[in-house]
Amino acid sequence: MQVQLNTIHKQFGSLVANDEISVQFEPGRIYGLLGENGAGKSTLMKILSGYQQPDRGEIVLNGAAQHFASPRQALAAGVGMLYQEPLDVPVFTVLENFLLGRAHDGERPQQSAKALTQLAGRYGFQVDPHEHTRELSMGERQQLELLRLLAGGAEVLILDEPTTGISAEQKDLLFASMRTLAREEGKTLILVSHKLDEVQELCDYAYVLRKGRLVGGVQLPCPNQELVDLMFDELAPRPARRQPASGDVLLHLQHITVRTPRLELEPVSLQLQAGQVLGLAGLEGSGQELLLRACAGLLPLSGGSLRLGGQPQPDWDYPRARQHGVAYLAAGRLEEGLIAGLTLTEHMALVSNAHGLLVDWPQNRQLAAQHIATYQVVGQPESYIENLSGGNQQRFLFAMLPQNLKLILMEHPTRGLDIRSTDWIWEQLDQRRAQGTAIIFLSADLDEIAARSDQIAVFSGGRLLRSVPAAETTADELGHLIGGAL
Amino acid sequence: MSLSKTRLERVWPLLPGLAALLVTTLLLLAMGTSPVDAYSAMWQGAFGTSARVYSVLAFLVPLLLAASGLLLTFKAGLWNIGIEGQIIMGAVAASWVALRVQLPSGLQIPLELLAAMAGGALWAALAGVLKTRGGVHEIFGGLALNNLAILFTNYLIAGPWQPPEGGSFRGTQPFGAHALLPLFENSRLSLLSLALAIVAFAGVALVLTNSHWGLRLKALGQNARSAFLLGVSSNREMLLAMAVCGALAGLGGGVRVLSWFDSLRQSISGGIGYLALMVVLLAGFRLVLTPLVAFFFSAVLNGSITLQLRTQLHSALGDILTGVLVLLVLLFGNYERVRRAFRRRRSQADG
Amino acid sequence: MHKRLIVLLSLAALLLAACGGAGPSGEGFTFGMILVGPQNDHGWSQAHYEGGQYVVENLPGAEMIVFDLLNPADKPEATLEGVVDEMVAQGATLIFTTSDEFEEDTTTVAAKYPDVVFVNVSGDDALTGEAPANLSNVMGRMEEMKAIAGCAAALTTQTGQLGYVGPLINHETLRLTASAYLGARHCYETYRGESGDDLQFTVSWIGFWFNIPGVTSDPTEVTTNFLDTGVDVVLSGIDTTEAINVAGQRAAAGATVWAVPYDYLGACDNAPAICLGVPFFNWGPDYLAIAEAVVEGNWSQSWLWNGPNWDDLSDLDSTSVGWLNGPGLSEEAAANLADYISKLASGEVAVWTGPINLQNGTPYIAAGAVGTDEEIWYLPQLLEGMQGPSQ
Repeated sequence: MQVQLNTIHKQFGSLVANDEISVQFEPGRIYGLLGENGAGKSTLMKILSGYQQPDRGEIVLNGAAQHFASPRQALAAGVGMLYQEPLDVPVFTVLENFLLGRAHDGERPQQSAKALTQLAGRYGFQVDPHEHTRELSMGERQQLELLRLLAGGAEVLILDEPTTGISAEQKDLLFASMRTLAREEGKTLILVSHKLDEVQELCDYAYVLRKGRLVGGVQLPCPNQELVDLMFDELAPRPARRQPASGDVLLHLQHITVRTPRLELEPVSLQLQAGQVLGLAGLEGSGQELLLRACAGLLPLSGGSLRLGGQPQPDWDYPRARQHGVAYLAAGRLEEGLIAGLTLTEHMALVSNAHGLLVDWPQNRQLAAQHIATYQVVGQPESYIENLSGGNQQRFLFAMLPQNLKLILMEHPTRGLDIRSTDWIWEQLDQRRAQGTAIIFLSADLDEIAARSDQIAVFSGGRLLRSVPAAETTADELGHLIGGAL
Repeated sequence: MSLSKTRLERVWPLLPGLAALLVTTLLLLAMGTSPVDAYSAMWQGAFGTSARVYSVLAFLVPLLLAASGLLLTFKAGLWNIGIEGQIIMGAVAASWVALRVQLPSGLQIPLELLAAMAGGALWAALAGVLKTRGGVHEIFGGLALNNLAILFTNYLIAGPWQPPEGGSFRGTQPFGAHALLPLFENSRLSLLSLALAIVAFAGVALVLTNSHWGLRLKALGQNARSAFLLGVSSNREMLLAMAVCGALAGLGGGVRVLSWFDSLRQSISGGIGYLALMVVLLAGFRLVLTPLVAFFFSAVLNGSITLQLRTQLHSALGDILTGVLVLLVLLFGNYERVRRAFRRRRSQADG
Repeated sequence: MHKRLIVLLSLAALLLAACGGAGPSGEGFTFGMILVGPQNDHGWSQAHYEGGQYVVENLPGAEMIVFDLLNPADKPEATLEGVVDEMVAQGATLIFTTSDEFEEDTTTVAAKYPDVVFVNVSGDDALTGEAPANLSNVMGRMEEMKAIAGCAAALTTQTGQLGYVGPLINHETLRLTASAYLGARHCYETYRGESGDDLQFTVSWIGFWFNIPGVTSDPTEVTTNFLDTGVDVVLSGIDTTEAINVAGQRAAAGATVWAVPYDYLGACDNAPAICLGVPFFNWGPDYLAIAEAVVEGNWSQSWLWNGPNWDDLSDLDSTSVGWLNGPGLSEEAAANLADYISKLASGEVAVWTGPINLQNGTPYIAAGAVGTDEEIWYLPQLLEGMQGPSQ
């Protein structure tokens, strides 16, 4: 199916997300949509998939102009989008999710299950129709969502950052299926990504957006530098990593255990020095999240002890952790961290710790404007946080962190962020490290863990498998470790 | 397309009002009454004489107080259905002072009003504690506490506070004149209570637009999890919002016994709390609209008394009119806001 | 209900024809009728409403303005004063306020409108002298009718257990409930030959004159509870018809139970087959007399406590209170009941004949003595032999 987007314009308040963008996608080909965070990629694709409506401009499929009021209408017309977080219902079974929102009158469950397994088999996916979706890994949920879109009649498939949080094998499988879909079945595929290597590996052609505008289209493969030049005005070289300040022991965990209904963390003992970075590696749900949240006081310890700066902390909880200079940044920024419906200024006022009764709005607006400038956030003090791109939300989260922290705990600190934002964030963290702030983070990006950590702890099945100095391992080795192939 | 949409959005708020007018007009025609006569009867009943206007204002006072309190709890994402019981317990506490304390009016009345606020606040805090400590949803806790407040009133009226000549279960013996709010021109309107209601609303407006506390409530209401992670002590703020709302509702209950009635009666509130919930929903949680809608409700309900007497139509016509209006507004007008509020509730319930 | 209404209307038409327009004309006369409950409750409020309709039928040209459900639970925004203001503005010169809930407020507004006649049911301000000159009280002398109701129940019960669904506790309800017990006990001994001590008579107070969800006990549940614990005849003392409704449902399901409703002539219609009869108020004649006096300008203040027309307890043109046998009453019981009624009428038997002890054992009326009006009116508690709270 041929897709034309003609002069698409979309504005959120004073923020122009898409500025008169016109692009064209041909059937049987795989397109890359590149751009740094906030460039307008996600907005453009949400418009194409019916999730948002443009202020101006039109969508033309095979020569016919379309108007989508909902994703469902878009799918009915043949456009399906696979989101970073698949839109499945965790308590449903695989089959129920597969059938969700689809007319399947008169079809018996066995027939539907058979249809599902057959369709899955065509792309080498293995699914159990009766398993609960919440038991699936991110990669498997993605496969299910893809199958659902295909069964719903999708001729155009949009994949938004599909490779974060899935294993190497799942990524290979996904790319193979995308090639099959384009080359053999004549579908139109669009890959939204900021990972240049992936786009080079998979795509035939790439469109590059910058600050809401289309800045170019490139036949692939091409030299990486050409893409980088299009994506960024200028890119500062990655600064050399500062040496860890060898400090006193800041955090001391002794045989701590954490129990949740779904997973139990077996005893972990660790020491972390001021200024040190500990990376936690493992497939999602291997126990590293439990450790991080227990350190933040968000999950109670079911055993063992936690010492901070030499002091035992028997009644460790989140408010106490905050008092002691521990900060926590969760993966879901708009779920745990930022507040949709509040402006940037309101966020500043909320965390300002001012003691007066009334809010000094001019002062907070000024403060927000300062942070916007310092942290290079694309947005205005009056912008609602949910209208910022993911990368800018993350920047703003960092902007709200207090000074002089002892420990920063982070889940996926750079997930979905482009190279420049990622470098920028680690540069910020590096500065804090130099002041003695210790960092614990978990990431699905093994390169990031290998490159940014001083010490690496590898988790599998609720167990700390191994703790190694970063200098003694590689991302490759980590990849094998987390798969349990030891 | 986008242009016509904004024009539609601009007239959208007027639609439910017009639709409600249409529906009620059809209803009146179906009952064989001239709508013009009916609406003029309502107008007369609400504003026809100065006595009617005073009655509208007197009924407005507790309604506005309760609605102002609800603006706070709704902002914090709480459905304080227990407001009805908070009004009642405010009335009970004010009655306790009125019956048991003998002071000059200048001291007696402030003490009664403070007791009313404390009574309502306590009852609301109870619902808050049930939620924060016991994990009981404020809707269920609130409903249970409403019934308990009614039972408690009945016990007091039938038991320890019954008039010396024997209980008729109607109410306690009338309070002394020194314990009652001064009334304006033989009406049931106390100008002091009206002033207090206006001050209370202005205070709530200031809190919600300009205070740190109001901002924390907003954060809590929009996303309790994030607010907690950003350092908002959710339990404390929720309790505080409930308590302040309860204090305002309780003040309304106190006004009810000290001016509308002259004693503690059974059904002292008679659903004013639920009416206040409808007011805030109809106003779409918007500050400016809330007192206007509360005034409108009071006028419609007072007007419907005259409507019933003139037309001899069904006695629930006034309730039907307001009910239709709220339903239509929820269906068309503020549906986006309400939907968001509900979605918020749901995501909190999941988390 | 409609059957009764037709009977009532045709009676009224007959009367009109007979009188040939001899009565005063109601042209231009407007009166107000304020009800505490709904006007179609088949109970207390409907009895008043139909009393008002009786006035309209018999006083040609008279107009009635009705306001029902005036209570703070149903209409927190309405006040008696506001309603009266509007009625007076519409030209009402006579206003009935038909609940003792309205007693205090009626006295207040009567002072505000000295040219309007007020009638409060069932206060006693006109008796005690607290009322302004334009306020009367009316109440039906229901005690004997309640005794007849109790008698009908005692003549019918097979388990020897009677249940009484009471409203709230005050002098009026205590004496009416006690009257029903005295009638029941008398007939249980006299006609059934049993010992009065074997008759179980239980009172359950719901807390108000009608069900207010969340405020009162639910009369439906109270009745159900009675029938589940061996009671086979329920008597109602409340304004509404839950007792007969529940008993009717039970009977339809095969149970052997009966009911005696209250207040309204047509209340048996809710479940005729198991209705033993109804003690009812017939406000029409008293209301008509008052309305005629107001129209003719010779009204004067009074405290009316009118009894039945003993010659015909169901003559709607003359009796203030009455008793109507229900289809559920057996022939044998009806005969015994007729005997009891004739003895009450002749004065051979008095309901309140001693010895009568209060529930706590205190002697109240000595053996052989008959209670005075005052003793009956101000009965302080239930009687010995009755089960249920006295306060």
